[in-house]
This record gives sequence, C-alpha cells and structure tokens, in this order.
Amino acid sequence: MDKTTIICRCEEINCEEIEEAIGHDARTFDDIKRLTRCGMGPCQAKICISLVADVIHEQTGSHLHEIPLPRMRMPISPIKLETLATNSTTFSSVKSVMDEVELEEGKVR
Amino acid sequence: MESSYETVVIGGGVVGNSIAYHLSERYQEGILVLDKKYPMTGTSGSTQAWVWVHNKTPSWYAEFSMYSAELYPYLSKKIGDVEYKRTGGLSPFFAEKDREKAKQLADSYRKIGIKIKVLSREEVLEKEPSINPNVAGATYSSIDGNVNPFRLIDMYMRAAKKNGVQYSTYNKVTSIEKQNGTFMVTSDKKTYVCKNLILAGGTWSRELGNLLGIDIPVNQLRGQIIVTEPLKPFLNYTISGLRQAINGEVLIGYSMEKAGFDRSTTLDVIQETANMAVHYVPSLRKAKIVRAFSGIRAMPEDGFPILGKVPGHENLYVAATHSGVTLSPLIGTLLTELILDGETSVPIDRYSLSRFA
Amino acid sequence: MVMETDVLIIGAGPAGLAAAYETASRGLDVTIVDESISKGGQLCQQTQILRTLPSPFLAMRGYELANTLINQLDEFSVRYLLGHRMIGTYKDGSIGITDETNVFPVNPKKIIVATGAAEKAVPFPKWTLPGVITVGAAQTLVNRDFVTPGKNAVIIGSSDFAMDVAIQLSDVGVNIIGIVESLPKILARDAEKTEHIMQRSIPLYLRSSIKEARGNGEVEEIDIQFPDRIMTEKVDLVCVDGGRTPILDAFYQLGCSFGFQEELGGWLPQYNEFLQTDCKDVFLAGNAAGISSQGALLITGRIPGVRVCEELNIISKQEAEHERASHWKELENLEAKLFPEKWEARLNHIKNYANPLLKDQFIS
Repeated sequence: MDKTTIICRCEEINCEEIEEAIGHDARTFDDIKRLTRCGMGPCQAKICISLVADVIHEQTGSHLHEIPLPRMRMPISPIKLETLATNSTTFSSVKSVMDEVELEEGKVR
Repeated sequence: MESSYETVVIGGGVVGNSIAYHLSERYQEGILVLDKKYPMTGTSGSTQAWVWVHNKTPSWYAEFSMYSAELYPYLSKKIGDVEYKRTGGLSPFFAEKDREKAKQLADSYRKIGIKIKVLSREEVLEKEPSINPNVAGATYSSIDGNVNPFRLIDMYMRAAKKNGVQYSTYNKVTSIEKQNGTFMVTSDKKTYVCKNLILAGGTWSRELGNLLGIDIPVNQLRGQIIVTEPLKPFLNYTISGLRQAINGEVLIGYSMEKAGFDRSTTLDVIQETANMAVHYVPSLRKAKIVRAFSGIRAMPEDGFPILGKVPGHENLYVAATHSGVTLSPLIGTLLTELILDGETSVPIDRYSLSRFA
Repeated sequence: MVMETDVLIIGAGPAGLAAAYETASRGLDVTIVDESISKGGQLCQQTQILRTLPSPFLAMRGYELANTLINQLDEFSVRYLLGHRMIGTYKDGSIGITDETNVFPVNPKKIIVATGAAEKAVPFPKWTLPGVITVGAAQTLVNRDFVTPGKNAVIIGSSDFAMDVAIQLSDVGVNIIGIVESLPKILARDAEKTEHIMQRSIPLYLRSSIKEARGNGEVEEIDIQFPDRIMTEKVDLVCVDGGRTPILDAFYQLGCSFGFQEELGGWLPQYNEFLQTDCKDVFLAGNAAGISSQGALLITGRIPGVRVCEELNIISKQEAEHERASHWKELENLEAKLFPEKWEARLNHIKNYANPLLKDQFIS
C-alpha cells in the first residue's frame, strides 16, 4: 500500500504512521490505536478496521484471523450528552472528589 | 534477544516504563521490560491522566504527589512532548456544607507548602465561566494539570529504547525463581536471568507477587469515562471529574466500582456520568459522546503506593500504586536511586510493603 | 420505566422482518428497533430482480420483497421502534435504546440481532476525496434519494452487486467509463448481468486497479494501473466495492464470542445450528451471521425465530425440529449451489461453535 494513503479518515492517519507503530512491535488494532489515535475519532474504527488489519497482515504476515478485533465501545454510535443524561437520577458509583476528603474530628485525616 | 540482564522490569505500564527509563538514564545496559500484552493495554491506557495533587489526603501523601508533579516540566524536556499542561485544578462543590471541609483541606496543606485556595462562587465563575452558576465554591490549586497518557508512555518507551532498554511484549511471565542470588524469570517466550527484579504489575501485582510467594495487596477498582467529540477549547482548568484534551475532546468521569478485572462499561454508570457532566458544565448538553471506556485502577489495600525493596528478598523491588500517571516521574526517580545508590532523596519508608505484614 | 417484550429484534431489514414473522405469527410479543424511520433496510433500494428466494416467495424486485415482508406482519402484535437505535447495555443485561431524546432500557426475554453488514473501504491515495463512494452508497443515492451522484463514473469491483449498481447508474444516465477488476476474471456469478454490461458497451478492465485519485476538493481524475501501462481517466464519481463485513457492535456489547470465516465476511459471532450465540438469550440473523445472498438471509431469520418460539414454549420440540430441518434444507438448496464456499464456511463455523477465537473481551 502506498505510504501516503489515508487509513483513518477521522484522525487523518496514513499508512506510514501505521507501519511505524508496527515497527515498534504493535501487533493489534488497539496497540496501533493507542500509539497513533487511528480509530479514535467519531466513527470509532468502523471504517478503518479492515484497512488496519490489511496493513498488519502485510507488515507482519499474521493471518487476518490472528489479528484480534479492536475493542468496540458504547455508545454504539454517537449520542448527545443531554440525551444520555436522561433516565439517570441516582449517583451510586460516580463520586465527587470532595467525597474522598476524609475528616477526622473536624480535621483532614 | 539475550537472556541475561542486570535488571528486569515486569510490567510496561506508566510505572514500569518510568522506572526503566530513569534507570537507563543512569546506566546504559542490561535493562529489559516485559509486558504480558503491549504497553497501554491496561490501566495506563485507560485514564483521564490528571496530574493531580490537591485533595489527596493525608497531607504527606499530597506532598509526595506534589514532588512528582513538580518533575513533569523537566520530564517533558527530557523525553519529549507528552502534552503536559499545568492547567491548575478546580474541585467544585455545590453544597455550602462542603466549604468547611474545603477550608480544613487548605489549612492542612498550608503546613506542607501546598497552596490551596477556597474560592467563592464568583471566583469560580470568573476562572471557569462554563461551570454551572449554581456552584457554591471550589478548591483550587495551581500545581494540578493533565497529560496525554499515550504520548507519555510512548515517549518513555522511545527514550528508554534510545538508552538501550529492551522490550519484550506479548510475553507473559509464568514463573519466577531465585537461584544463587539471581532471578530466573520464565515467560511465554523464554527464561531470563537477572540480578535486580522489579515488580511493576499494576492491577496484576497480587498475581505477580504470588509467583514468588509474596503478598502484594493490590485490588481492582473500575472507573468509567465518557469522551465527547472534539469541541473548541473552552475549559481552562482540569476540573475534578472532567478535563479537555489538546485535541478538544472532553473526558468525563469519576466513578468507582468493584468489578475485579471486568473492563466492560455499563449504561448505568455512563448515564450517571453524563448526568454529572451536564450538572457541572451545562453547556456540554449538546456535545456528542463518541466513546466510553473503563479502566481498572490498581488500588493498594490502604490506598497508598507500595514502593521499595521487598523485605526479605534481596534485589527484589516493587512499585504498585494508584495514580500512576501523577506519581510516575517520582517513582521512577526514587526506585532508580534505591537500586543504584541504596537510598532515596525523598523518604519512601512509609510506602514499604512491610506495613502490611 | 423498563419496556418488557418477548422478543427484541435489532434491525428491521429482511432478516429482522423474517425473524419477526416467525415469532409474531405464533403469538409472541415482538419489538423491532431500527435507526431508520422506515422498515425494510437495504432491501428498499434494491431495484434488481431477486430470483432465488425461499418459498413462498416468487422472484421479485428487492423493494417488492421488502413490502411483502412488511405487509405480512400487519395482522400481528409487532411494536416498531423506528428512528430508534441500541446504544449499549445495562449492568443487568437490559438493552439501552434511544429515540435521540431519551435513553430507556428494554428488557426482552430473547434478542435477535439482525444488524446486517457494512461495506468495506478500498484504500488508494486520495480515496478520501469527495466523489469516491461505495457502490452501496451510490445505489442509495440513486434509488432512495433520487439523486444522480455524478456524470462520469468508474466502478471498482465486479461482484454481482457492483454490476447491479453499474446498470442502475447507467439507467439514470451516468456514463460508466469502466469496471475495474484486479482479478483476471469477472466476479459476478449471474452471467446475465455481465451481458447487460457488455450490451451497454461498458468496458471491463481485468487485472487492473486504481493507482491513485486526484482532484482539487473533489475527485477529478484517476489513474488505472494495468500490468503494462497506466490509463488516466477524467471522472467525478468513483464507486468502490470492497465487499461487506458483518456489523458486530451489538454482539460485542452483549458479550458474545467471535470466530473468523473469510468467506462469510471475516469476523462474526459464534453461533450454533439454532443461530444462537454463546450468550444464551442472544440470537442472530441475516448478514450479521455471515454475508450471503438475499434468499439465504431470509432463512437465517426464520431459523432463530423457530428456536425462540421453542424456548418460550410456543411450539413443541417436535414441531421446532421439523421446521428447523426444512429451513436448513432450503438454506442448503439456496446457498450450497450458488455459493458453495459460503455454505462450507457456515457449516465450519457452526462446527467450531465451542472454540471461539475471541472471547471474554472485557476481562483484562
């Protein structure tokens, strides 16, 4: 593949950058993602997933079935924050940093 | 790849990488970093990466965190741009009753030389106009900031490699033995012999310790984070709960759940986090969330770092901690001093594994 | 505010509708979610005649089949959540659905995921220029939106689908400069389609590929690479067919395991002969279970439908077994003859049910 070919159009990562990451022993889509941001944009790897697998295959000789799927994430497609915030009224797991400050006899522990 | 090393670091997270890099600064040869997968696969790649001092308690732990934060500008000069920004940190509170707590915090920090201001509502809104006008106040510290964790680890690795450090990835350690004063570290790929062994296994520290019959009491605590599409820069500070990255994305989250090694995200927590976000910064309402991720914090049983020599095991060291991003420059520096000089410039006795005995 | 339902079907395309018929016609309460505001999925813009459909369907055009599948559900209890989409899962396993105003949980007894397939990109220098689109996108523009996407087009790929789209573009007056195929032969199995192309004097370029595209803000020119030369053509539309791959996001969030079958589109969820994943209450249908022909897809909607009815005690084991045997027989008839390698891969995939290549994706 030509080195200038864009692989991830969301983050504008080209083939050469993917190859460089593989040169640093990255072996999976997620390794490459963390080194280059490939696949981290709005489409969340939906377009570049197979292109990256092809580059890994070309560079390392790994079979396509040996190249694991990238981690797929929620939300399955982008969603407005205010929509996401509906149907949530309790705070059981989400904390404020102030909650973590512990006082002992009126003094910070 | 050779099989004999001066020092083997098990774990290529932010802590292991910092130790390897700082060691390589002082002696050139014979360092190997082993990772069961690839650096950034674990906790170090799934964090908001605040460099955070204020509201760490007790004050001696805040002091320790401060020393590390102070090292960041210098670290960026040495290893390259890690997108470190000392933005200052704001911890807003929405209930007037929290002001007393905030004042106590500021008082106890003053004694150790960390300046924490307790801001009025007006002062908060002046600093960070996007905060919900219902805010009651905030604590503020100028030393806090954030860093790009991917750049940080990549730059640690590049600098370490330049200094001769070797890495072996996708290479899980399966057994460790000590024979005639040297460690035999057997992994998926081969057996390595080394003089010094450093356990930097993060969330897997307990499992790593078990290979040597040592109890390293580190538990897992899950955090879930949601990320917006890139927005034009509008947040000036690192706010406890959210921060804006250089590319404009806002990372939001401050959740804690006991879920072992389960890294799934759940809509329950994602929606709570979204709710927190619109409560803190109402103008985020229309922003789109493009992804959520969860990270497993390495949480020592008492919450404080486990650092230093492993009692009763010569040349065996451990570095397992929560807040690895904040603490990595200091931990790397101090462990290097401990290994090469036998003593550290900042005392770490308090953090010894022996406290759990 | 949890919505309860017997069967939640994700996707109102042909496979989802077939699964809905199988379950709703036997009396189950069925909910179908689709992000589009209309039913029928990609079938709605298929104007070509589909010849190999399972009984009772006779050969008909794609959109006619879509209408048939939609109409046959009219008399049954089916709740359509159109303009809705699944965004993830809750801790208790309920499915999070949004209508873009709210997010709410749906708690079904059984889930049938029929999310279909996505087209793969074909990379070459400047493939991201406006004017370079997939064949599927070109078809949607022409047949659904009644928009002519360009004047002078080149088609990359020679599958049946690429040929269909070439003909449909030509029908609305797009000048097809050529069909570019890297292999030494045409991939389309339907010889009639190739004949249509020939009749229209559309050049077929074998052993050729795109070397690069050029243009200022949009595609204006492409270089076609032949073994011995490069040909430059002025174009304003490049339609690429990179094949299709199952859409897996919902399965991934539900915790299903995955395997790999190149002939079925690559990675796909593990499933058994009931088209049931290794998450007990999660089934799958259609292209999500492996890319196949339109006729085969309908049957892959019926098979999980039957199993869901059996597990919810709507039909007896004997009846289910009888139905299942006849569906599998028909699937073999449709798939094994036309696409023997897909049929082979499907059987192989089911055989490997207990040996996924990727599992426990959330455990670190």
